[in-house]
Amino acid sequence: MPAPPATEDARIVERLRTDETGEAMRALYRTYGGELLGFAQRSLGDRGAAEEIVQEVFLRAWRHAGRYDAERATVRTWLYRIARNAIIDARRRASVRPAAATREAEEQDSGGSIEQAMLGWQVAAALERLTPEHRQMIRMAQFRGMSMREIAHETGLPVGTVKSRTWYALRSLRLVLEEMGVVPQ
Amino acid sequence: MTGCEHVRHDLGAHALGALEPAEAAAVEAHVATCPDCAAELASLQPLPALIVRADGLEIPSPPADLEERILDRVAASRPRRRMSWLPRRFGRLTATALAGVAVGAAATALAIAVIGDDAGGGAAPSYDLVLDGDDGVSARAAFEPNDGGTEVHLWVDGLPPGGKAVYEVKCERPGWSAGAGTFRADAQGKAYVVLTTAARIGEYERIRIVRGDENVLTGNLN
Repeated sequence: MPAPPATEDARIVERLRTDETGEAMRALYRTYGGELLGFAQRSLGDRGAAEEIVQEVFLRAWRHAGRYDAERATVRTWLYRIARNAIIDARRRASVRPAAATREAEEQDSGGSIEQAMLGWQVAAALERLTPEHRQMIRMAQFRGMSMREIAHETGLPVGTVKSRTWYALRSLRLVLEEMGVVPQ
Repeated sequence: MTGCEHVRHDLGAHALGALEPAEAAAVEAHVATCPDCAAELASLQPLPALIVRADGLEIPSPPADLEERILDRVAASRPRRRMSWLPRRFGRLTATALAGVAVGAAATALAIAVIGDDAGGGAAPSYDLVLDGDDGVSARAAFEPNDGGTEVHLWVDGLPPGGKAVYEVKCERPGWSAGAGTFRADAQGKAYVVLTTAARIGEYERIRIVRGDENVLTGNLN
């Protein structure tokens, strides 16, 4: 069995500080940049501010790479926590009532919302890794609540094709989520 | 296991609840007697609850230059030093203007910012002091207490390249000055040096880089 990506990620973080080529940072960014941008954009409601947060997250990750402990958290969890802190700081700077903004963010966090939010983005990232055809089946069936027959009607595909695609799509998704450590292997 | 081939392709749809009632009943009847298909269905059944969490979440395509901006900031932030002695209120240092004469003719306006970090619970914050000059001279300084005073890490860019000029770093407060050491610019007009001063953190309020009697860069810690 290949090493799970979480371990690979931990190795990348280990290399982050000493890697002068920037390759470790690129690898980390390419894996998590999109997710974190989505997470920040949803939290702040502003694309420009979200891009600032993403820069800040990777800069802080680089600075604190030495403190990352693979036994305590996955790289993803670690990055989301850094993002959460950066978002709190951004809100604090932007808010006329800094204490209130901070408290709100901290309350959200204590309610486990960061883990919830992270899971959502993680699944969204997993869906992104499927083929467009597979993703389409899952979106239509799950997000739009369509039956196989309805999907066949809308797409013009034979219902048997819709069914087999849906099955393959779920199997692929399961594999991706296993690789991410979201579901057990 | 007759019918497996046919039922297998229905398992995904069944897990998503997207089959017609008669088809769903047929799948249920089959998996009740077929451990393989039952196991396959069981492996798919946790997925719908996970998928709904991603409803409405679109992974945005980051702008092409965001990756480069990050790498630039990392490169510019070397060296890294933690300055845990700096209280959080230093998170916003005020912009300050260079009092003396800049290298070259252009007036130099300096913007100084401190970037605070608090990733990870309870960890000491780290700071970089950033000095940007309009005339292209820029510097970053980081300070770390050591046994006898302060270790000053300095990263300067935009100096006249490869000259013989010797620059001196001073830690100062009104009426008081302590030298931290000297350096020269390299062939690219850059310098990265680690200097040591007997001045202790808290004893000085500003950092100055001078060439002879000329002020090159100033950073105020207030």
